[in-house]
Amino acid sequence: MRVTFPHLGNAYIAVESLLRGLGHEPVTPPPTNRRTLERGSFHSPAELCLPFKIALGNMLDGLDQGADCVLMIGGWGPCRLGYYAEIQRLLLEAVGRDVEFITLEVPRGIYSRYWNHFRRLTSGARLGHVLRGARLAWAKLNAVEALENLALQTRPRETQHAMTTQFLKRQLDLVRRAASLKEVEDVLHSARQGFLQLRESGSGQGWPLRLGVVGEIYTVVEPLANLNLEERLGNLGVEVVRTISLAGWVTDHIFKKALGCDITAPLRRLAAGYLRGFVGGHGLETIARSAALAKERVDGIVHILPLSCMPEVVAKGILPAVSRDHQIPVLSLVVDEHTAECGFQTRLEAFVDLVQRRVGQRVGQKQACLPWS
Amino acid sequence: MPLKAFVGHVRFLARQGLGLLWVPQVISLVRGEYTCPNLLGLPDLVRQYVSPSVRLLTPVLDARRGKRQLDRGYLSWGLQFAALPRVLRAWQKACVVQRSWEEEQGRGHPAGSALTILLLGPGYLVDDAYLNGNLQRKLQELGVAVVRADLPDAVTVPACRYLTKRPYWTTTRRALGALEHFRRTVDGVISIAPFGCGAEAMQGVLVNQRLRGANLPYLELYVDEHSSPVGLHTRLEAFCDLLERKKSG
Repeated sequence: MRVTFPHLGNAYIAVESLLRGLGHEPVTPPPTNRRTLERGSFHSPAELCLPFKIALGNMLDGLDQGADCVLMIGGWGPCRLGYYAEIQRLLLEAVGRDVEFITLEVPRGIYSRYWNHFRRLTSGARLGHVLRGARLAWAKLNAVEALENLALQTRPRETQHAMTTQFLKRQLDLVRRAASLKEVEDVLHSARQGFLQLRESGSGQGWPLRLGVVGEIYTVVEPLANLNLEERLGNLGVEVVRTISLAGWVTDHIFKKALGCDITAPLRRLAAGYLRGFVGGHGLETIARSAALAKERVDGIVHILPLSCMPEVVAKGILPAVSRDHQIPVLSLVVDEHTAECGFQTRLEAFVDLVQRRVGQRVGQKQACLPWS
Repeated sequence: MPLKAFVGHVRFLARQGLGLLWVPQVISLVRGEYTCPNLLGLPDLVRQYVSPSVRLLTPVLDARRGKRQLDRGYLSWGLQFAALPRVLRAWQKACVVQRSWEEEQGRGHPAGSALTILLLGPGYLVDDAYLNGNLQRKLQELGVAVVRADLPDAVTVPACRYLTKRPYWTTTRRALGALEHFRRTVDGVISIAPFGCGAEAMQGVLVNQRLRGANLPYLELYVDEHSSPVGLHTRLEAFCDLLERKKSG
């Protein structure tokens, strides 16, 4: 089968390996761009959230490239993500694209459907191949994550503007092409050295500000959805602390949930006093991680969410209390397909300015440094 | 928007010098389903808007693991106030009232009007004349009989079987079930939803898809704190004109 799938940050690198291991041909949609979003929004109801629209755009792109099947994740609420696949199937049907959908989710209801999906995915694959593919995919997912984190640390310290982003892109491409675990490891090893070389030597200028990014997973990891938030902050001289990792999400939501573990317990402990439990999506994570970041003495928190995201609206209402109690500045950014770059950049600059002044006052001198100061 | 109204109510009450406030955390009412995510965090959200001196009473109503878990939620909440026998008596009384109310809902199908419309939407919006711009009254003035989507789960759950995946929001599932139930007897469908309601956006797609072949007009209304009743009424009048013309051929 020629299988396409929507983008989620750089997860496509791992998904490709996984699909090859299963004996299918992955049809990776072109990198998400403005046109993808416009296409997706055109076919979706206006009230649906940004991730839905971008994913639908990805699917349309993938189908144009000759895919005959869509791989999607599902779930059982209360976040809308769980029902995305059904709605997207209906919308594609309405425009004459009657395609097969394979939804990965914890089976419930009609079991024969899941059995059919499973058979479709695994037919014609040998177990050895599948296992090798899965291991490679897992290694790649972790490698991608490691590279991105290195880039986050390097960007505020880079000697030449935009070098980190370019270097990261090249390394990600190498990981994508790697055919064995050994190659992935080699790329990672050399990349570590490469990132070190990009940094300025000596520490004469003090340390960069550290800002944590929390929020809905898609808008945190997908550069188009968040208008390159991480890169923008990095270029402003800020070290971004990521709280959401794709590998962690896969472990929590696929492996641990399938085994029936309670994944919310540690988060509930962190969010105690603010939110008593699961509200769907990443609402609880947002509150829990914000409280944890505040205790780690991060300088500020940026919260990003798609317009009308139900769980994050709750989190947004509670975040001011976290901000007040822990004396930490929080900026909530709501994004949708109409978000303009200039307004976004202005708000980020103003926020970074404010945080810098606060930190300067706390330390008693101007130790936190920014490129323009 | 309904959240804003709720917070408004809470703050009004808190200003009256109240010491105790009842804000339930309604997670789920039917096995395997959820209410709205905003309700899941309601008590914690309200907590931010009232002074710490106000105590919040928050029973946790959670039926994700079945009805028995829900009953336990009610009972354990009652036990905070009285001994078990008394709680049980109150519980039984409440059950009787609830059952008779449910039976009443199933019956009344108003006849005699020229047009019948199925009104879909969450209860806090359909029943609140201020938030929905006096929608029901206006429909009455236009001479339209309104059928509500409040059907017992015994009707709506089987009615949703045609879907490949059952919706996991109770309001959406009930609305779609009611749509199946009344599809052949009503002349049109109106849905009303607060702007930004997530489940409603998906429900719209499902309703549209179902009505496309059925030749049944469908009006989607979204309200928020900026919508004016006048604009709403114009749309209602236009919709009813259309229905009348369609009916008379």
